[in-house]
Amino acid sequence: MKTFNLPDLGEGLQEAEIVSWHVKEGDVVKVDQPLLSVETAKAVVDVPSPYAGRIAKLHWKDGDIVPTHSALVDFDVGDGSAAAPAKKAEAPKPAAPAPKMEPISEDSGTVVGKMATSSALVEETAIIRKRVVKGTGKPKAAPAVRAYAKGIGVDLTRLSGTGKNDLITRADVDKAASSPGAIAGSKDRRGEARPATAKPSAPIAPIAFGEMVPMKGPRRAMHASMTRARSEVMECTIFDDADIHYWAPGNDITGRIVRSIVAGVKAEPGFNAWYDGEKLARQIHERIDLAMAVDTPDGLIVPVLRDVGRKDGAQLRADLNVIKEKTHSRSVSPDDMRNPTITLSNFGMMAGRYATPVVVPPTVAIIGTGGIRHDVVPVLGGVEVHKRIPLSLTFDHRCLTGGEACRFLAAMIKDLQKAT
Amino acid sequence: MAKVALVEALTMAMAYEMKHDPSVVVMGEDVGKNGGVFRATLGLQDTFGPERVIDTPLAEALIAGVAIGMAAMGLKPVAEIQFSGFIYPCVDEIINHAGRLRSRTRGRLSVPMVLRAPSGGGIHAPEHHSESNEAMFAHMPGIRVVMPSSPQRAYGLLLAAIRDPDPVVFLEPTRLYRLNKQEVADDGEALPLDTCFVLREGTDVTLVTWGAMVVESLAAAAELEKEGVSVEVIDLATVSPIDEQTVLESVEKTGRCVIVQEAPISGGVGSEVAALVAEKALYSLESPIVRVAGWDTPMPLFKLEHDYMPSTARVAAGIRKAMEG
Repeated sequence: MKTFNLPDLGEGLQEAEIVSWHVKEGDVVKVDQPLLSVETAKAVVDVPSPYAGRIAKLHWKDGDIVPTHSALVDFDVGDGSAAAPAKKAEAPKPAAPAPKMEPISEDSGTVVGKMATSSALVEETAIIRKRVVKGTGKPKAAPAVRAYAKGIGVDLTRLSGTGKNDLITRADVDKAASSPGAIAGSKDRRGEARPATAKPSAPIAPIAFGEMVPMKGPRRAMHASMTRARSEVMECTIFDDADIHYWAPGNDITGRIVRSIVAGVKAEPGFNAWYDGEKLARQIHERIDLAMAVDTPDGLIVPVLRDVGRKDGAQLRADLNVIKEKTHSRSVSPDDMRNPTITLSNFGMMAGRYATPVVVPPTVAIIGTGGIRHDVVPVLGGVEVHKRIPLSLTFDHRCLTGGEACRFLAAMIKDLQKAT
Repeated sequence: MAKVALVEALTMAMAYEMKHDPSVVVMGEDVGKNGGVFRATLGLQDTFGPERVIDTPLAEALIAGVAIGMAAMGLKPVAEIQFSGFIYPCVDEIINHAGRLRSRTRGRLSVPMVLRAPSGGGIHAPEHHSESNEAMFAHMPGIRVVMPSSPQRAYGLLLAAIRDPDPVVFLEPTRLYRLNKQEVADDGEALPLDTCFVLREGTDVTLVTWGAMVVESLAAAAELEKEGVSVEVIDLATVSPIDEQTVLESVEKTGRCVIVQEAPISGGVGSEVAALVAEKALYSLESPIVRVAGWDTPMPLFKLEHDYMPSTARVAAGIRKAMEG
């Protein structure tokens, strides 16, 4: 049993008048055989049969005005359901010019076709993106170079490009291929995986004379931290020297300097602190995490020695060696550089006696040590020549006083001048 | 805030602007008494009268030509074409006059008109009711082409289009007219006409799409997320001119690019996006650009339209292809 509803014969017409039926109940009809003539607002049209089968029931008679989409004819299409007219018929497939077969309760929103309609809410976040920071993208290389690198197994993410705008060139790939570590997942000749520390450093880009080259990595970070320091910190620096003439042989210079900073912090704990100038609040730390500024070709790298106050000379030396190695192999991780409480800049190896090193917020103090040298010093009314370490202490005068700085430096000098 | 369908958001935008700007007029076939074939102008004639909501004869060239004249003389007509397949008689008017009047008169006249038309398939309508012909207009200088893909964007972008001093062809994805709803504040806030919208942030591959294909693209992105692929989905929205920056920065970030359009693949807006990426972000590409699109045939009769339009599965396959390459 199939039921045929009166289709929409015009554009949104609500009803049609039956002029005459061409079939009667019991007739057997073919597909497209005219069933009846109806008059709409526009014209008299014949409605063709969408099914082949026997007419089971005509719902209306000549002259009736039939609402669009209401049941018009029941067909017995030989599916054995002829005797069950009350059963809800399945919506018949359209054959006539795209009639809507299911009664619709409201405006469907279109005159042709079938509009998908729902009240489901759109779940989306549409972002209008502002300019992003450049230089955070993946390595850039021409497709041919990528294919070449892929072919010989070179991992582009481990290279720095030497081409224009840091583009990785074929020569960069060749160079990397000849320095073994850049081959992804490579093994050495004995077939053993290389230890992480043996990772060779990335090729250093040659100087591009005359070009504006964007700063990268540590140099870029230095720009940010120095700019912040200049805009926030009120810096004041004092200078003095520690006489190490009486040192016993075998003293570890850097180890002793670190120890003296610990002594300074013991005398003036306020130097091992973070200061928040906006909130006018400072946080004094018990643990001393000492940042060590290390000069590298890439720029300044500042790894942190943790908890130096609780370490003896041997432990400090071991830590210093680790830092030295990591810096050399450029494997200092961001974690290694995070959250120092005070800083040491040991710059005197090449030249320079005193300096005004820059305090990086939120820390409040930095100690600079110049090159150790022989000075003529007055001793008991005469003169002697002693080895001395020049010291420079810069502090944030917003939260520390000059007196405190002098006491800090005095404690450092006192510790440094001990024989052992 | 009202939760409205896309087509209702369009009505809201037109009503808002008509209320606040007496130079705005709405015109087209059956837009007045009938409320439009898709009911986009429902109730506007009751509110603003037949002088501002004008039922025109069945003559698309006339609609466009009259709108251009009205616009050049100071009105802001919003003209409706019933289906994008009926827009071709307007092409002469739009390309030869709307797009050129400003340069032809050395800036003395401009054409602040909007030509609205439904666009794309998926509603089982006859094939010439289902076209995606945005590329034809995008190719022509002097005309903006805008395709919204959500009720909020429909509202904000139509307001912007009406307020823009130059002609805008505003193509509305028919399939989305009533597909879902969204809260839209009727506050008269326009959206910019020179920006893409990032609908989903991701790091592995950039998917650029517009119009109704936003639905399949977001579904495919969700599917790929389960496979561990993070897809950034960008709704181009302003098909011409294109916001190059958002697309290029995204491709520089992800290194891969998939473009999804419902229109035939050849010579489409997707080809333009591909050319843009190839010209300006080639060195960031880690795999070839992938285009997922309709086929180079007329839109088929409606039984086959879903084989013609890119499905979620086809979009997902395109993303996988970009990830493999």
